[in-house]
Amino acid sequence: MTEVAIGSRRPAGRDEEVDVLIIGAGPSGSVAAKHLAQAGLSVVTLEQGHMPDRNEFPGRKPEWELVTQKQWHPNPNFRDQPRDYPINTDESDVHPLMFAGVGGSATIYAGHWTPFLPSDFRVRSLDGVADDWPFSYEELLPDLETVEREVGVSGLPGNPAYPPKMSYPTPPLPIGKVGTKAAECMDKMGWHWWPGTNAIPSLPYNGLNACVRRGTCMSGCPEGAKSTTDITYWPHAIKAGARLVTGARVREIEVDDRGLATGAVYIDENGRERRQKARTVIVCGNGIGTPRLLLLSKSKHFPDGLANSSGLVGKRLMMHPFSAVMATFDEDLESWRGPFGQNIASFEFYETDESRGFVRGAKWGAMPAGGPLGATSFVGTKAFTDPNAKVEDMWGSHFHDMVDRRFGHTMVWGIIGEDLPEESNEVLLDDEMVDTDGIPAPKLKYKVSDNSEKMLKFHEDRVLEAVEAGGAVETSVVHQMADTGWHLLGTCLMGDDPKKSVVNRWGQTHDVPNLFVFDGSTFPTSGGLNPTATIMSVALRQTRHMIAERRNQEAA
Amino acid sequence: MMSTKLTDESRAAFAALADFLIPAHKKMPAASQTGVAGPLLDEVLRLRPDLQDDFMRGIGAITGEKACDAANALYKEDEAAFNALSLVASAAYYMTPEAREALGYPGQESLTYDAHTVPEYMTNGMIERVTRRGSIYKPTPR
Repeated sequence: MTEVAIGSRRPAGRDEEVDVLIIGAGPSGSVAAKHLAQAGLSVVTLEQGHMPDRNEFPGRKPEWELVTQKQWHPNPNFRDQPRDYPINTDESDVHPLMFAGVGGSATIYAGHWTPFLPSDFRVRSLDGVADDWPFSYEELLPDLETVEREVGVSGLPGNPAYPPKMSYPTPPLPIGKVGTKAAECMDKMGWHWWPGTNAIPSLPYNGLNACVRRGTCMSGCPEGAKSTTDITYWPHAIKAGARLVTGARVREIEVDDRGLATGAVYIDENGRERRQKARTVIVCGNGIGTPRLLLLSKSKHFPDGLANSSGLVGKRLMMHPFSAVMATFDEDLESWRGPFGQNIASFEFYETDESRGFVRGAKWGAMPAGGPLGATSFVGTKAFTDPNAKVEDMWGSHFHDMVDRRFGHTMVWGIIGEDLPEESNEVLLDDEMVDTDGIPAPKLKYKVSDNSEKMLKFHEDRVLEAVEAGGAVETSVVHQMADTGWHLLGTCLMGDDPKKSVVNRWGQTHDVPNLFVFDGSTFPTSGGLNPTATIMSVALRQTRHMIAERRNQEAA
Repeated sequence: MMSTKLTDESRAAFAALADFLIPAHKKMPAASQTGVAGPLLDEVLRLRPDLQDDFMRGIGAITGEKACDAANALYKEDEAAFNALSLVASAAYYMTPEAREALGYPGQESLTYDAHTVPEYMTNGMIERVTRRGSIYKPTPR
């Protein structure tokens, strides 16, 4: 055993060996960096993207809608920016969405804050499928409540979809006319709804400004009002001595003769290969980036990839099949106004009812519909599905009438269905595709399951019932959209059995005692909701354990 | 990448196509009335360089043709070029103050509010009806 020295709060120098190397400065890596540095450990974080500059976010500019269809598109294959890595999705029903930068993909998320429910941790016990987590909702709750105060969540306490818990640090955001109408729909059905909880404070909080409802959350918040870790965690982490290296793309985690991690090799922005040595390594690269890196890190000790004696690295990819229901009303809903977080949410059909023909369920979130350019393409160019259709059938006066009818009058219900793990859904290394540094790109194999298909259809029908009860004059369903792989989970399974999982309950890999995974790739199941709250809470739980056990940590 | 130098003739062809796609209608102005074929066109193409090749190929195909016939022919023969032209036209249109004012769209604006105001749903019985129905989660099995 080698004792990890307590750091001096002096930022580690370049190439100096540190107590902890964190790979990835997204939500989980940021939580770890801040808390480890504040506990006195020397920390370096390598991040392939850059520190976001909110003046570059397009939300205040007239071209906002135009550039969100390309430069700010969430699909890295489509966006094709230099810091993105390509992903082969030829064999995937869902396209992964992500963003490389400090703050990670949350830079362009909508900020829906929906912690996992108690049943999400006990899917095997309750429904006989998938796996239970090695810890419970109640065990994670203290970490969740700490994270909520650091993030600056806004929301109304008392949601009967959850057990009683601490209130949120800021009051709920205005639900606006969209949320009010959506709530009326649910009220008519007698179904659960609750004002949206969002990682967007309604008052200035922890370096964040108050939300001003600009509604451009998903292309970066130009107001500095959406909670991302570049604002809420990194100033604290750096003050505590953590060092952040951006533009650093990690190629490999190295091990010594005993099979212990010694640090990582990365390519800096000048294309130079560098080596960061560390006594402990934590990978936080998301459900695709993390298994990619472990599979890249082959050695004589680990010929099948690092920490992969179970053969499960990259397996059980979950991405949440997603449907959207658009509902247009006669009333003016001002539905370009934000926040673009969830105005209200419903958990009415979240828990399993086997009479529906599937297990598990989905969360619904009601959101605004955006600007007029988006209103021109809500349902694609369906007029052209008729081979004899003419351009003027969709354009001309019809175009104006459609925009007039839908723009400002339309809400979007997002349905996130629980994605059950299957080993056939996986992340591999592509044989040919490489990123801009020549590192092999990931390849996905992913099929939407029969359970997910049935689940989405059931939920689409229920949402339609609700919006029609509320007076919708036009509806459309986009079933199982492809560009919705926001939630990248499950590819480094957490469990107690080293033969059947990659990491233990504390995120420590079974095979390499000083290598950890703290991101959503460790999730045994996906829940049927947005996972960032749980990703950050699990990262805090694992970080706190690492701090408590630091004197017993084996190192190279 | 193709040259994106736009001649007066190609601007006129784009304006005619844009007016065919987005004519004056009720409260809304025609596309050309908002200036979509002027400097704004150059700006949109600068903002979206990925559209330039398809756009210029489309402009080449429609110049000198009647807008209605050219649009339908282009859609059938070169959908990518049609999509680029129609996206540039509609995106430019909705960036203009004239179209936004006519539509009642102020843009993505900043709004202030009092976060401590009691929301209407707290006083009109709506949220109370949800809470009175009680918990809906399944607790952790013991």
